[in-house]
Amino acid sequence: MPSTVDGRLVLELERICGSASVVREPLELLTYECDALPYVREAPAAVVLPGSAEQVQEVVRACGRAGVPFVARGHGTGLSGGAAPVRGGVVIGLSRLNRVLDVDIPNRRVTVEPGVTNLEITRRVAPFGYYYAPDPSSQQVCSIGGNVAENSGGAHCLKYGFTVHHVLAVDAVMPDGELVHLDSAIADATGPDLVGLIVGSEGTLAVVTRAVVRILRRPESVRTLLAAFDSIGAAGTAVSEIIAAGIIPAAVEMMDALAITAAEAAVHPGFPAADAVLIVELDGPGVEVQELFPVVETICQHAGATSIEVARDEPQRARIWKGRKAAFAAMGRVSPNYYVQDGVVPRTKLPEVLGRIRQLEARCGLRIANVFHAGDGNLHPLICYDEKVPGQAERAAQAGGEILSYCIEAGGSITGEHGVGVDKREFMASMFTEDDLDVMRRVRDALDPRHLCNPGKVFPTPRLCGEVPGPYREHPIEKAGLGERF
Amino acid sequence: MSVSTEALRQSPVLAGCGMVRAGKNADAIDGVKPRLVVEPEAAREVAALLGWASRERLAVVVRGGGTRLAWGRTPAPIDLLVCTRRLTRVLAHADADLTATVEAGATLEEFNTALARHRQWLPIDAPDGGTVGGSIATNESGPLRHRYGTPRDLLIGVQLATTDGKLVKAGGNVVKNVAGYDLGKLVSGSFGSLAAIVSATFKLLPVPASWQTLVATFQDREAAAHAIASLGESQLEPVAVEIVGPAPYRLLVRFATAPAATKAQTEQARALIGTGEIITGDAETAAWRRYRERASAWSGAVLRLSWLPAGLPEVLALIEQLAQPEGSVELMGRASGGAGLLRIEGDLEWMASVVRRLRARADLVRHVTLRYAPAELKERADVWGDLGHAGTLAGAVKRALDPMGVLNAGRGPI
Repeated sequence: MPSTVDGRLVLELERICGSASVVREPLELLTYECDALPYVREAPAAVVLPGSAEQVQEVVRACGRAGVPFVARGHGTGLSGGAAPVRGGVVIGLSRLNRVLDVDIPNRRVTVEPGVTNLEITRRVAPFGYYYAPDPSSQQVCSIGGNVAENSGGAHCLKYGFTVHHVLAVDAVMPDGELVHLDSAIADATGPDLVGLIVGSEGTLAVVTRAVVRILRRPESVRTLLAAFDSIGAAGTAVSEIIAAGIIPAAVEMMDALAITAAEAAVHPGFPAADAVLIVELDGPGVEVQELFPVVETICQHAGATSIEVARDEPQRARIWKGRKAAFAAMGRVSPNYYVQDGVVPRTKLPEVLGRIRQLEARCGLRIANVFHAGDGNLHPLICYDEKVPGQAERAAQAGGEILSYCIEAGGSITGEHGVGVDKREFMASMFTEDDLDVMRRVRDALDPRHLCNPGKVFPTPRLCGEVPGPYREHPIEKAGLGERF
Repeated sequence: MSVSTEALRQSPVLAGCGMVRAGKNADAIDGVKPRLVVEPEAAREVAALLGWASRERLAVVVRGGGTRLAWGRTPAPIDLLVCTRRLTRVLAHADADLTATVEAGATLEEFNTALARHRQWLPIDAPDGGTVGGSIATNESGPLRHRYGTPRDLLIGVQLATTDGKLVKAGGNVVKNVAGYDLGKLVSGSFGSLAAIVSATFKLLPVPASWQTLVATFQDREAAAHAIASLGESQLEPVAVEIVGPAPYRLLVRFATAPAATKAQTEQARALIGTGEIITGDAETAAWRRYRERASAWSGAVLRLSWLPAGLPEVLALIEQLAQPEGSVELMGRASGGAGLLRIEGDLEWMASVVRRLRARADLVRHVTLRYAPAELKERADVWGDLGHAGTLAGAVKRALDPMGVLNAGRGPI
């Protein structure tokens, strides 16, 4: 059993970071009791806010000496409870490590501390015509440290990949307190891809204190269209035909009728009333976009589009995206509460799985809106419920679990971008065999033999009393209008 | 080694593991001949072999196409060479999903031939070809890396045979998936030191509709580096930007997309750098085939090195200094990415001194490793160089996954 924070460890943390950087007041600790998965709540025993990598290192060493578990936390926007505190443990808040250390345009890379927000990188390099590609919709507020831990995606990862494709190197404090530099910043470190292992390990293998990320040249041209269809199947056909034509769009997003209604009510993007709308965006050299965009238009027409709107200018494009990006928050217009899932299916299984979701909707008596990254088969079903109606919240959570089982049966995954965290750890056993998980555990044991680094995440564990998967509740950040789910 | 080769051959484990034969001279790695060569016909057999080897503490080397076995340290005695070349099936090709699963022993060429039926491919163009498993284990790529990345960037799922005799998987069949640790990344670049790769799932790309290449020659390194920098600053999107040198430097800039866009971009690139000849069609294909052959042919030694992209002029200056007068050097590299091969030819002492001089310039070049090199050179210069922290961490993972230390006979970086 791990130890818990005692007076001696608190004194030690205060010595390392200064007493003002150690949070012990119960009211202040409430801020840290959950991330954006609010049903898992556990006030930490202490929160420490180091101001340098060396302080992180000393904090990890102090926790190690005391045998106390620790959880690294960025800006708390994670959707799977990856930064949920461990009972009696320490939360290492990395928000003060928020410096952009180096903007290196000639080498197309930026070096940042983990508390820098995703969008800050693009802001810093935009004047030079560059951007940072991974774009989770919480990008205004989410931290790069969290992106690295979760291997965050976004709307444009069909063409540009995930965080793991854009992180060149990390500095990390390992669970034994070693501060290591894993260098592939100068291309091609020798040996196993440890950066690739740590990215997406959900904070269970190391605390990243610095990341070197790749930035990309802005594409010369971007064109976006909005196509309406009278069935999800027809929209799905259009997506398949675009791919079959050898075109990899920068983004392909789909929304169903309920999601369209909600978005219209919330932000009035001017979407047509339809059973499905498809947003297709192409980017690249002007000549290429000019050549391929008409092909996409023709494919949409042949697939039965009832209307096609091509964004003439940037404001029109922004309006289309606003409708898409507002879809989650907009659910508040049609339902008091909603629960979001993050399953993935092979793109071609979308119609089949969406059909099953429709049947489930009829069976469970809850409306389910669908907003998803159609290009890569990443579903975000939004299950509407009213927590004031007894039993609805539980039914919503059950429906979410059922949708994940459809995804697994279709050959997909239980999470495309939100992570396993606490939320989905019990589903890991339905996606992986005990032998698969055993090898992952051995890798974990090799780097964190005492299980002090974010324990209780990713791997299935027997549930504790009273701990049940719960429904979605709005996070304070969303309430404040600072972030949206995507 | 206490057990005789004949006794090994009698093991019941081998009875169900495909073809078994004594090692031949052609199987030798740096002169070390394996005692037995096994060619399993099923993934399950690979797992059984590794489990057996671990229990009996038999040194195992996994071989795919054998094209890169010369890389790495001279091995310790090898008991068992496990060859994957009978595991060549394409297990699934979901063309509409742009994914495919293939057994590790298929060559990239075999795999791509199968994918071509749907005008799709795995855009890995390592000069020496090799198998799918070998490509992952070495994370080797070629000029197209500029656009498409290395095998680890395209790998979405992997099945491994472990030293406890099991078959395990990580990742999956979908392009977007963050469930569990990404063991596919872990085995990328592991050189067979952690587990045997038995099959892999990749995200695929459509085969481009057209190709064109701009070939330009520059008399000095500043002019070449300037051209590369201006390409990088432009919004053109080539699939490969290669440099060959020292002077005169040759620059190859390849475009591959829809026909009109390919043509227009190649012309724009020529206008931008102010020189060059555009090649198309069969001539273009042939030029890249020759380029590949040149990169895979060697006498002397081939080194691999990396640098910061903007450091290219200094790197070229360093290489020019190395060239004379005792031996010859030639760089073939990813001009914008900062990675390349350096072919060196001269006497052993000179070649060893080149490795030392490059490693002494860690401010400019890193990850200087020996690839193809005579065994005598491997004795004079560490093949892998210092791995730093990565060596310690990877060592810990190695002990967890291969506790008896039977995999790879000491060849690999870990």
